[in-house]
Amino acid sequence: MQNFMNSLSGWFLVAQILGLITIGFEFASYQIKNKSKYFLVTGVGSFFWLLMFFSMGMATGMDTQLSLIVAAIYSTFRNLVFWQIFKHNTPKSQEAGLIFLLIMIVVALTAGTFTVLNAPADVRWLHILGLITALGFVVGQYLPGVHYVRISVVFYALVVILTQTPLNILYGDFRWNVMGIAIEGAKILSVIAFYIKYSKEPHKPLIQLSKP
Amino acid sequence: MFKIISDGGCDFSEKEAKEHGVTIIPFYISLDGENYLKEGVDIKKDDYFKQLLANKKLFPKTSQPSPADYIDEMIPHLKEGLDIIILTVSSHLSGSNQSAVNAAKLMEEEYPQRQIIALDSLSGCIGQGVILRELIRMRNDGLDTLKAKEVTEKIIKNANIYFTLDTLEYLKKGGRIGPTSALVGGLLNLRPILYVEEGKVASLEKVRGKKNAYKLMKEALIEALREEKNNINLSIGHILSEEDATEFKDAIEEALEIKMENPLTEVGATIGTHIGPGALAFAYCKKYENFL
Repeated sequence: MQNFMNSLSGWFLVAQILGLITIGFEFASYQIKNKSKYFLVTGVGSFFWLLMFFSMGMATGMDTQLSLIVAAIYSTFRNLVFWQIFKHNTPKSQEAGLIFLLIMIVVALTAGTFTVLNAPADVRWLHILGLITALGFVVGQYLPGVHYVRISVVFYALVVILTQTPLNILYGDFRWNVMGIAIEGAKILSVIAFYIKYSKEPHKPLIQLSKP
Repeated sequence: MFKIISDGGCDFSEKEAKEHGVTIIPFYISLDGENYLKEGVDIKKDDYFKQLLANKKLFPKTSQPSPADYIDEMIPHLKEGLDIIILTVSSHLSGSNQSAVNAAKLMEEEYPQRQIIALDSLSGCIGQGVILRELIRMRNDGLDTLKAKEVTEKIIKNANIYFTLDTLEYLKKGGRIGPTSALVGGLLNLRPILYVEEGKVASLEKVRGKKNAYKLMKEALIEALREEKNNINLSIGHILSEEDATEFKDAIEEALEIKMENPLTEVGATIGTHIGPGALAFAYCKKYENFL
């Protein structure tokens, strides 16, 4: 135990705290129906997620975290741009938002295809699944209503868990990434909590019209 | 006693206008960019939209009535000794209100003893229509010109109009959405639910598919009107989608246990050019007695 404690650096502990903050924001974001507020909260969550990887990089070496840092920058940037787009909700902002969405899809598709092609043949299917669910999630975030984003994030989170946990079948060894499980698990739990709450709510129309 | 004049933005049929003693000043439409036709006079609404459907590349232009168009209609009534209240489509959507205001100013100089009032409905089509219907009721109930003006101004603030579209093509053609939004929105089968806020068209929500859009609009309308269902002037309009509009009307009547007084309205070119065939709209306001 003493050896284990000694092996923990300050940066590692900071990373765990940032991970917990990320969990809080991610959980909270899927309780929010308003798209603009959802993107702000999940965007802040992504930013702490980015900081977590950075701290982990400081603890374990940046080279192991670099791809995750890039993914987190991509995620934070996307969420915060979407936040502004949905906040302003003007024809110009929507047009800019869609062009941005298409660029994001092309970037993810290019990076994902590159990853798939370089993956060992026996685990290529999981990378393809990751690519599909990631793209589905980005489109789901943009689509109107409360359901698409929640359904798509569950599939995406499940695939991420599959790659980061004892269920890891990419590298043939069991690598516990507790914080990774917790963050993705928080998203799934939040969606479950949302639907439990949603099913108990008295039925209200999704749009509110001005009362006469 | 006052005479009511409205521009063609209210989408009253010729028969209705005659029945209610309202003079309609039509808008001008040009299909070729050169020859302008009077809407409802030289070209019927149905024919106009059928031509739009037949030729997808067509994007007609609309032009507001001129001050002279208003003056020509005002003079005989002023000579009869009547005051005049003009109701126009939102000044943010058309220059019709400016024409009416200019015409009213000119006529005030010639007929200083008469009240000549030009009101901006800050709405359009059936939204302007429900305000106009309340103005007609006020006139029929004998309210004087200034009281009717004061109450109409309150109704204008209270009136709401919402609509959904069958295609994004016409919003794109009118420059209200960009080409990417139209393309992606079309691919994802998105239907915007739009409304008019302070005279300008704004987006309320986007929904996937016509069925979902209608369902959402029905639920929201029932919820909004439930408490005031016997105290409102409600109107439903459409462009070449009478079947959908009838179904929508029946569902609302059944859910709220009311019988709508206003007939289904065919939306005209003023708003219709920008939203296209297949659109469905509803508008409502409280009856004028609430604002006395």
